Amino acid sequence: MKNQINRRTALTGLGSAMVGLPFLEEMATAKSTEVPIRAFNVFFGLGIPAPLQTEGFSDVFEPLKPLREKLLIMRNVDHIRADERGINAHFDGASASFTAEGPAGEAKSGGPSIDQVIRRTYHPKGMPAGMVPTLCAGTFFRRSRVSRYVHSYNPDGTVAAMMQEKPRDLFERVFGTIDTGHADARKTRFKRSVLDAMVDQYRFYTGANSPLGSASKARVREHLERIREFEERAYKMKHDAKGGPKLPPRSKLAHGGPADPGGEGIDMRLQDLTEEWRLLADLYALAVQTDRVRFGAITFLAAGERLRITGDYKYEGRLIHRFDDARELNASGSKGCSHEWWHKFHEKKNNKQLRAHAHMKLNEVAYFMKRLDESKEANGKSILENSLLTVSTESGDGRHSDVKRELSGVFHAISGANGRFKTNQIMDVKSEGIDVYNTMLSAMGAKGRLGPKERQHRAVDGIRT
Amino acid sequence: MMSYRFVFLCLLGVIVDCGAAGRVGRDLLALYDFKYKSGAVVADRSGVGSPLNLRITNPRAVRRAAGWLELRGETTIRSDKPATKIVKGVQKNGAVTIEAWIKTASLKQSGPARIVTLSKNSNERNFTLGQDGDRFEVRFRTRRTSKNGIPATTSSRRAVVPKLTHVVYTRARSGTARIFVNGRQVAQKNVPDHVRQWDNQYRFALGNELSGGRQWKGTYHLVAIYSRDLSAREVLQNFRAGVSGATETVSVAAKELSAGEKLFEDKVAALISEHCLECHDTATRKGKVDLSRKKTALAHDLIVPGNLKKSLVWELVESDEMPSERPPLKPEEKELLKRWIAGGAQWTGELIDPANYSHSSDAKQLWVQRLTVPEYIETVRATVGVDITKEAKKWLPPDLRADGFSNTAYNLNVDLMHVGAYAKLAGIIVEKMDVQQFTRRFSRSKLLVDKDNRALIENIGKWLLRGPLQEHEIVAYRGIVTTIMASGTSSFEETMGYVIEAMLQSPRFIYRAESQRGDGSVYPANDFELASRLSYIIWGGPPDQELLKTADESSLGDPEILSHQVKRMLQDKRAISRSQQFISEWLNLGRLSNMRPNPRKFPNWSRELGEDMRRETLAFFEDVVWKQKRPLADLLNAKLTYVTPRLARHYGLAYDGKTFGRVDLSKSKSRGGLLTQGSVLTIGGDEASMVTRGLFVMHDLLRGVVKDPPPSVNVAPISTKPGLTQRGVAEGRIKDASCGGCHSKFEPLAFGLEKYDGIGAFHEKDEHGNRLREDGEVLIPGTGKPVAYQNAMQLMDLLAGSDRVKECLTWKLTQFALGRPLTSKDVRAVDNIHQSAQKNGGTYASVITAIVNSDLVQMTRTEKQ
Repeated sequence: MKNQINRRTALTGLGSAMVGLPFLEEMATAKSTEVPIRAFNVFFGLGIPAPLQTEGFSDVFEPLKPLREKLLIMRNVDHIRADERGINAHFDGASASFTAEGPAGEAKSGGPSIDQVIRRTYHPKGMPAGMVPTLCAGTFFRRSRVSRYVHSYNPDGTVAAMMQEKPRDLFERVFGTIDTGHADARKTRFKRSVLDAMVDQYRFYTGANSPLGSASKARVREHLERIREFEERAYKMKHDAKGGPKLPPRSKLAHGGPADPGGEGIDMRLQDLTEEWRLLADLYALAVQTDRVRFGAITFLAAGERLRITGDYKYEGRLIHRFDDARELNASGSKGCSHEWWHKFHEKKNNKQLRAHAHMKLNEVAYFMKRLDESKEANGKSILENSLLTVSTESGDGRHSDVKRELSGVFHAISGANGRFKTNQIMDVKSEGIDVYNTMLSAMGAKGRLGPKERQHRAVDGIRT
Repeated sequence: MMSYRFVFLCLLGVIVDCGAAGRVGRDLLALYDFKYKSGAVVADRSGVGSPLNLRITNPRAVRRAAGWLELRGETTIRSDKPATKIVKGVQKNGAVTIEAWIKTASLKQSGPARIVTLSKNSNERNFTLGQDGDRFEVRFRTRRTSKNGIPATTSSRRAVVPKLTHVVYTRARSGTARIFVNGRQVAQKNVPDHVRQWDNQYRFALGNELSGGRQWKGTYHLVAIYSRDLSAREVLQNFRAGVSGATETVSVAAKELSAGEKLFEDKVAALISEHCLECHDTATRKGKVDLSRKKTALAHDLIVPGNLKKSLVWELVESDEMPSERPPLKPEEKELLKRWIAGGAQWTGELIDPANYSHSSDAKQLWVQRLTVPEYIETVRATVGVDITKEAKKWLPPDLRADGFSNTAYNLNVDLMHVGAYAKLAGIIVEKMDVQQFTRRFSRSKLLVDKDNRALIENIGKWLLRGPLQEHEIVAYRGIVTTIMASGTSSFEETMGYVIEAMLQSPRFIYRAESQRGDGSVYPANDFELASRLSYIIWGGPPDQELLKTADESSLGDPEILSHQVKRMLQDKRAISRSQQFISEWLNLGRLSNMRPNPRKFPNWSRELGEDMRRETLAFFEDVVWKQKRPLADLLNAKLTYVTPRLARHYGLAYDGKTFGRVDLSKSKSRGGLLTQGSVLTIGGDEASMVTRGLFVMHDLLRGVVKDPPPSVNVAPISTKPGLTQRGVAEGRIKDASCGGCHSKFEPLAFGLEKYDGIGAFHEKDEHGNRLREDGEVLIPGTGKPVAYQNAMQLMDLLAGSDRVKECLTWKLTQFALGRPLTSKDVRAVDNIHQSAQKNGGTYASVITAIVNSDLVQMTRTEKQ
């Protein structure tokens, strides 16, 4: 059966990806009649407090409702064992997502993530040629620790793949030739990061807040233009597919250092954020649809993210909330960020703003899943149905006052993985995350298990079909 | 009462002369001395930036007299506009001094009652100095305090007494805050973190909170705000200066000119110089008219102040009879001249020196200085210990000369090749570094987590980029770290290597970026800017740790500390190297390696001989300037030199040495001084052109100005022949009516050099057997009478003794130090530099010391935002 990639999906992508059709036809996975094993981790920051997970699809979970038949939503999944005394629960919790382990260093998790255990079972000698071994991508702004935003880890706990944080980065990683995993390509990427940081500084000296006079500014502006020329010449992207997708537009959002000014948070228009999210989701989905990618992770905001969001959030034409975090919190800096709604969460209160933020994020996660649900595979099911998508987050409650509350009841949702798991229900699993994950690995036929060997595993068979 | 005589002297004198007696002037932001005895305004008389005058909201509540203001009732004395200059000044340095001479009306005032405040209301402030019973209390907001500046710093009990009291609060960048009462420290506290979040919309006020309700009653005699923490010694100095102590002025620009004087200095002098002095200067005096001097120009009805009808100059200019055989003045130029004469023809100084007006237009622009290639090499060596000379010279395009020097900022542009070279060199530098060892100097931690790594980046950045990093810079470098960390495969060393690589390419490394925006007036350079200015002027490289530490402590404003630093730096060998860059640039010694004289005429010339000449001049310079510490003017007639055997043969000197060495020339009749060295003599080309040599002496030794020849003139060198020497050719030109006017001013300057051929060998006869001469006359610009000399050695002595030559050397060195051509606006400052340097011996060190103490280095011209 010919792979059916939805042409509209590939073309539109919120009007900005502008992916070309001939390319898709060349890249299509028509030859395969088997459904490949895929595993992706989908992370969103700041989480859904456990009490809000009991409300069915009537409120925060509403965006998942159209996909409910393809998802198993799990409540009462605990990561308490991942909590480290004295360490910020945001990255403990974030690290535990998909690994069930706390962090083991600045840029390491305590163990592998489920996608990588599965990958190594099915591709012990590496992925087929031309395929990106693991694709890590995401839109995030809090950067102080890697585990806040990276969600795919090797067996030794190191990061499984370099993070693609701009749509263009992801595009180049998947469809370009610049980064092939070769050492030089890696170096090239770092050099670009250096160049990006430099460009930001030259921009500052040519901008409105520059301390320089007009003649000096003109001189630095000239320098900046030469840097851009240099960038164009030194790092000009080469495409390996004629008629391939066009390079996505340059990101409008802050990335790199400017994205995280010392934890003080940044201002963000909802429209800008969702545009970038959707572009990234489109590109990631396209990478999966074209079978360039089978394993990896995508991040919708870092753990403990600090944004001061403004803008109207509408769902199906209905105004859910008019975001204006700083004004509603009557504060500036970090205290004016949406993060504070999690700190202020109280079961007996309405938690209006938190609900709206969580609803909005789940809507974006749902958008990504819908993109994977649009194309059918050889077995007649969608990529979403055939893959193991694990959606999770960092914590249940943001008050940082109670370890049990902090990392208990962490929201999880998984897709059916080609009939391996139950779907169309919200299940109270009452289990530790490590047992849930190991049960998932078992169902996926993976050889490895998470956690210490001596630990007595408790299978959560209720989630399996 | 203020000593006006003292102020006058200060205004006219140089900074070092009016130091200790007065109040500290450097880094003053606002000064209220309550000089005016009436009115509802308290004037800011600091002379810094736009005055931040204060309005008395209820004048009935105050009593005024000249020198004090008593606050007796409910009122506020507040600024109508935000106190932006104070906020920006304090933010720039991260330090402040709040000073007041006051007498409280009661010891029962509390709240604290606001003596001086920069705030919004009773809960939000940048700072407040107040009285709480018998204590002084200061609230100073930083990132660590509340918006109200709590916790506050308080003095000991009984610090407030009902007598005239001098109270000073200082807060250093490091966070150390002190309160001084009557010159003695009474409190100290740490008030850490930065002040970047200060609100620049807050107003400045005396006597009450901006929102009212915190009234202080008593008498003010003086309030001053500085943008740095005064040292204990400076606080004592201000205390000893008393309530009426005159404030030092570090700025000669502070001298106020009348509108007429300003018109003359800014416009009219340049106009006269351009249109009149070619024929009517002291040397030419066509029609016996000398318009270059006040005494002669305002005599004989030439220019009659206030009377256009009687002014002959105006009559001739208005009718376009003058300038003769030159284009007439444009209508707007005529209007200027008319306005000036009609307004009283005010004339500052004695002489219009055309050299002061040879650069006028671009000088108004403030150009950021890119590091030159030698500065880049030295900066890399000094900061990370890597010698990148070979690679930098290979990859970086050479800096081109403009206005006689290759460090002229406006010409230091950037091309694609620079960008590529900086990127490549940064990579090579990091490869050559031991990154781990380097980072250990700043932190033992190898953690890349936010807290540890930010601190490391801040410390490395402060060192590499010559001052504290701003938040946006820290986040940019952190971004590199997190991006690389996210790859999960990089070591600490590799990650920090990329951060260093980025810093090495940042605008703050490549350029000497300074704050150039303000209100169009001059502001004191901040301590880090000043540290960089000192180090690049004296060393051609970045500040070392001691200088940077001094800047960090905001101590460079202390004249003693500054003087100590300058002396220390001048003793460092880097100062010698920098001075040799100056002489190389001034004499364009790089030219020697490119010379290709006609081999038939000069078969003895070789590249090696050219290199010998370059070495000769550099070694000679080092000997005279550094070993003997002689006045710079002695470079013209010092009777010594350095030669190789090859160069000695070329010069005809007896020299026994086998390598490069010193030669005593005290008995030589042909050698002694720069102008007798091959490096300079080759300026004249194969034909030993008297035009070129004369122009060199004119421009580069006498600061003279000669206009370019008219386009129709054939400037091809005229060859000598039997019966015609170079001097003969020159004399022919001088006699020519159309050439002589200008050539008579500069060609005779080279007559004394005729015996030296195109590559500097000495001969009594030229190649045609013509006997050569060395006698002549020197006409010093600005003078009317030529001075005769009999031989080259006499010419050298004449030049070495000339004030004009000494002045020219000061100008050249100042231009090189500043990296820009000097203009008429700089004349006063350079004159002060020159006077100060001559008073201290006229040595290289004394000129440099005067330069770094001058307005031109201490102050920053700003561009109006």
